[in-house]
Amino acid sequence: MDPLSVALKVAASGLDAQSKRLLVVSENMANAQSTSTVSGGDPYQRKIISFAGELDRASGANPVRVNGVFRDRTAFPVEFDPGNRAADASGYVKLPNVNMLVEMADMREANRSYEANLQVVKQARKLISMTIDLLRAGS
Amino acid sequence: MIDPVLLSGIVRTTDPSPISSTREAVSATPGFADMVADISNDAAGSIRSAESLSLQALQGEASAREVVDAVMSAERSLQTAIAIRDKIVTAYLEISRMSI
Amino acid sequence: MDTVHLFDMASQQARWLSVRQTAVANNIANANTPGYRAVDVQPFRQILENSAMVQSVTHPSHIRAAGFSSAVTRIETDGSPASTSSSTVKLENELVKSGEVAHAYELNTAIVKAFHRMVMMTVKT
Repeated sequence: MDPLSVALKVAASGLDAQSKRLLVVSENMANAQSTSTVSGGDPYQRKIISFAGELDRASGANPVRVNGVFRDRTAFPVEFDPGNRAADASGYVKLPNVNMLVEMADMREANRSYEANLQVVKQARKLISMTIDLLRAGS
Repeated sequence: MIDPVLLSGIVRTTDPSPISSTREAVSATPGFADMVADISNDAAGSIRSAESLSLQALQGEASAREVVDAVMSAERSLQTAIAIRDKIVTAYLEISRMSI
Repeated sequence: MDTVHLFDMASQQARWLSVRQTAVANNIANANTPGYRAVDVQPFRQILENSAMVQSVTHPSHIRAAGFSSAVTRIETDGSPASTSSSTVKLENELVKSGEVAHAYELNTAIVKAFHRMVMMTVKT
């Protein structure tokens, strides 16, 4: 298969993976304050996305794929808030194990990776187009 | 008499020998033949140098600007040589059509 | 004109450049894949030398396509091994490589176009 088309496909897989990652990050951010509706219950549990590479030796393609979305098992932080609906018998509320700073950093990185993959898509397309242009009449 | 077939051979830059045979054939008008030969030599030379510079560029050893300048210069000389060849051919045909 | 050699060389370089583009695409796509090691291609000159040795029997400007898929080699970036939770890819480097590929490819197609034009000029009556 034409290497440039391979590059295009691989970059498309990167775009897909990074946008799924962004989805997970935004879900985490949206639920950063979501405590349980029942007394003593668990709050929103942070989600983590996992990537894996696939190698196709014949074409040299190494696209990326989402391996799965897992739950972060870090312990829930606890806050004393007896008035909260989610407070347990001693008045403690479990909060989501989401750290906004971490999520923001993750989002920035996901954006950066997304942009980089987009660059590859644009460039591969441009190079293919340049090649075909050789046959066009005129300059 | 200028032989147009031989002259069109001049601007095919593979073999420089047609140039020298033209010089011999046209001793009657040495100035003109010399000029034509010079122009085609010029074209051949600038094409060769454009080629070698391009080869270097493809291997990553020449700058884009150098290549572009050399290729444009080659195109200019080539275009000139071709224009002259065409004019000569036209002139020859006109002359050959003249009734004696 | 010895343009046959030039067109041949341009084709080889174009193929090498597109293989390199694929390597860059692989790296960028896997920038966040745990354990992934960044790859790059052998320098163009090295490929020419290698195939020149192999193809010395036939015309030296004939370089076989088979050599290119093996041209992609793993490059260890500054010796620090990829941990199980990250890759060795540095996005800035990959984008720089991408730019190099684009620049070289543009020059390549421009050269081919120009010489093609010149040959056509001389062939037309």
